[in-house]
Amino acid sequence: MEINIEGIIIIVGNYGSGKTEVAINLAVNRKRAGIDVRMADLDLINPYFRTREARKSLSVLGIDIVIPPLKYFHADLPILSPDVAGLIQNPSTLTILDAGGNDDGAMVLAALGDALKNKSLRMLQVVNPFRPFTETLEGCIKIRREIEKAAKRPITGLVGNANLMDETTREHIHEGYDFVVKLSEKTGLEVEFITAPVDLLSSLDHNRFSHPVLPIERQLVPPWKKAVKLV
Amino acid sequence: MGKKVLMKGNEAIGEAAIRAGCLNYFAYPITPQSEVAEYLSHRLPEVGGVFLQAESEVAVSYMIFGAAGAGARVFTTSSSPGISLMSEGLSYLAGAQLPAVFVNIMRGGPGLGGILPSQADYFQATKGGGHGDYHLLVMAPASVQEAAEMVMRAFPLAEKYRNPVIILGDGLIGQMMEPVEFPDYLKTEPTKKDEWATNGMQFRNSNKPNLVKSLFLDPNQLNENNLILKAKYERMKTEDTLFEPYNIDSPYQVLIVSYGTMSRVCKTAIDHLKENKFEVGMIRPQTLFPFPEVAVFKAASKETCKAVISIELSMGQMVEDVQRCVQGLRPVHWYGECGGNVPTPEKVMEVVKSLV
Repeated sequence: MEINIEGIIIIVGNYGSGKTEVAINLAVNRKRAGIDVRMADLDLINPYFRTREARKSLSVLGIDIVIPPLKYFHADLPILSPDVAGLIQNPSTLTILDAGGNDDGAMVLAALGDALKNKSLRMLQVVNPFRPFTETLEGCIKIRREIEKAAKRPITGLVGNANLMDETTREHIHEGYDFVVKLSEKTGLEVEFITAPVDLLSSLDHNRFSHPVLPIERQLVPPWKKAVKLV
Repeated sequence: MGKKVLMKGNEAIGEAAIRAGCLNYFAYPITPQSEVAEYLSHRLPEVGGVFLQAESEVAVSYMIFGAAGAGARVFTTSSSPGISLMSEGLSYLAGAQLPAVFVNIMRGGPGLGGILPSQADYFQATKGGGHGDYHLLVMAPASVQEAAEMVMRAFPLAEKYRNPVIILGDGLIGQMMEPVEFPDYLKTEPTKKDEWATNGMQFRNSNKPNLVKSLFLDPNQLNENNLILKAKYERMKTEDTLFEPYNIDSPYQVLIVSYGTMSRVCKTAIDHLKENKFEVGMIRPQTLFPFPEVAVFKAASKETCKAVISIELSMGQMVEDVQRCVQGLRPVHWYGECGGNVPTPEKVMEVVKSLV
């Protein structure tokens, strides 16, 4: 089952839910399928592990990424590049906006309200039930409400991103899938896709899934580990 | 929890304090550790605890002094410039023999420096920071799991010595996410606080009036107080020095001394070098004060060992302790960076190979 996503996609979720890793891997996956992809790093609240860290490998693949000016690369200042509004005005076949965590990170979307007006877009909530505050359906729904309020727009779908990073097992993926399906039933939000580390794909019971699986080739790694090579 | 969850170091530090039985947290936000306050602002009200954001880090340190003096478990977190502001309070806490836990998620310095990882507050943590003859018990985690466990151990250690304990992590320890499991066995109760805490006569089982102070105008009394402190620091050395040896049974030619996230880069480098038949050993101090003096000396004394190197995210601070321990037995080198870039395993391999 292939992921079939086009248009403007906004990735939101609670802090540390894996939005950036999902955004990068979604961009790579679609680019490899021959679709033009552009991205914007809207994370104004996180000082480390942001989309901008992967900009080199993304640009090699031909994925254009809008980041704050390089002189502010390491600043912990809420800088929103004016290029983001330009990107929204002239989107490519798939345009991914990677927002920061929680309602604080989603607030930037309200600031982009004018640019996003009358655009057809999808706002996806990334959910990892192995993270604090989203271990329960209620926790996920609370975060959803907070994000929607701050972003001043509704979440339209879910991304199941159950993982414990390097310690993720097939059981975690199966358990996480059941969780996000329950969340979908309770909220009426469609599951757009789930994720799984690329090296676990062959061990998964794909008959369980009635949604596509995005393979994750981890890009945001600490300095003693190597990111998975994309090219 | 009993099960593993994926947490940022900063979140795990906050949760660990609660699980250790600490319900008082006073702090002032600063990158890269503000997530501790963010996390605890949600969690502490759920468990009946208090998070108070102070007007400055100086105020934080005296809120800590007040709470600790009253016998309450209390902690704070900050990053380098914030710890500088708290250093006066740390000296007062040590002088008044009060237990409290501080966490420094270090960023680059001096001055405002930068927000990326650094270990440049080694001297500040281990050699003073504030004024007077005192030491902090300094713990240095290398993973999110270890950060959580050290925070839980820090409270009973602070109470054992009636002395502040500081957890020294670099920005990566605070910002990275790893699976973590909180051990129940590290939850402890404060002991013997009736002997010193000014928690009100009606709340304790003794009639001894307690006085919390660091002012001793009589020179003999002040000297006596400092001798008590000195004896505690000696006791820390014999009872609570912690370190992790790595590849130390091999016939290593080079010994690395490294701590925190830098030591994880070194481990990767040591593993790669081993595949190339080049053996390197490592001592990873888990306590920086007390420093694993004997372990470093013994490891450097190994016949096959030709050189020792301190690898740190600072311009050469821990290397002075390493030199002190090696006692001239082997050449002691330094390698490090202190701008926020963490050296790669490849760079460490290159540096280590150049030594022999």
